Amino acid sequence: MTGEYRPTVALFYCQNIPQSSEDHRRVLEKKYGQSMRLFPIPCSGRLEPIHLLRALEEFAEAAYVVTCPEGACRYLEGNRRAMKRVQRTQDIISSIGLEKERVGIIIESSEAPEPLGQLAERLLERALKLAPSPVLKGAMTTKEHPSP
Amino acid sequence: MITAEQKPIQEIRDMISPYKKILVLGCNSCVAECAAGGEKETAMLASALRMAAKMNEEDVLIEEKAIERQCVKDFVILLDDIIDQYDAVLSLGCGAGVQAVGDMFYEVPVIPALNTEFLGETKEQGLWLENCLGCGDCMLYYFGGICPLARCSKQLLNGPCGGSMEGRCEVDPDMPCAWQMIIDRLSRFGALERLEQVYPPKDWSKKQGVGPRRIQREDQQR
Repeated sequence: MTGEYRPTVALFYCQNIPQSSEDHRRVLEKKYGQSMRLFPIPCSGRLEPIHLLRALEEFAEAAYVVTCPEGACRYLEGNRRAMKRVQRTQDIISSIGLEKERVGIIIESSEAPEPLGQLAERLLERALKLAPSPVLKGAMTTKEHPSP
Repeated sequence: MITAEQKPIQEIRDMISPYKKILVLGCNSCVAECAAGGEKETAMLASALRMAAKMNEEDVLIEEKAIERQCVKDFVILLDDIIDQYDAVLSLGCGAGVQAVGDMFYEVPVIPALNTEFLGETKEQGLWLENCLGCGDCMLYYFGGICPLARCSKQLLNGPCGGSMEGRCEVDPDMPCAWQMIIDRLSRFGALERLEQVYPPKDWSKKQGVGPRRIQREDQQR
């Protein structure tokens, strides 16, 4: 299974976690290439289910969110909101028969926060355990009309 | 506002299954406020349906758009330029929106993606309550601004019943007793005497007794 198979992971992360600066992002992008698509967000509370769904629909085998530790959100409750939105996304993908494990959330520990690079490695390994996404096996035209 | 909830995905998929080109159409008014059919929810549903179609190797085109109000002709007409590209519209409007779009584009099937629920108030983030039945003969003045028809489990016009306990409803103790609220509110206004009157059974003829209701205002017409 893991021979030629290289899953693509969409990683949305709060910019307040350790080693998540632009420099770190560039290093990770260089290291993982197309296997890891990184989306820094000022607060995980900005995340919406549509971000995760679009990633799964268009390119990702799995989409994960990394938040700052519980109780440590700079904007008070961003990470709590992110948890609920990840749960909602899992419900949506389950309802169409897609494994809910394709979406996940990692809440940083306040005692020993993990640097972004380490998390990325761990999440890529997690994604390798998933079968290739049945959503990505065929291409289909999609477009969105601008609102009037 | 009108509240609604999305139907189960499988029910929606069954309804759209005969069609190959589908426009998922959101409405940015009431159903956006209750997080059921606005732009965000439209994008989420369209994305989920596209993914489901890909997983099942179905050759369909699913596109999305949201307009400001599906129940107002002036907004629905904006679809005129694109509607011919589709076999069907999957509407995330309320029942009135679905029908208004269908009236305007008679040849195109308009399929409801939502179950329209009630006239509601956004009580807090993520909580909507039914506070009005749209009875056509508002009695809120007599009841301190709290409607016993919408908010009392037994719809009593001459309450409270004997089951009100510590301000909670016996039918559902999580719910406040509407009659306790009515009495508290009228007491605050010094208007408890309004309850000395015995109110006769509600005249429902003003709701649906004479068939579909309509409001016609000549001063608003062209």
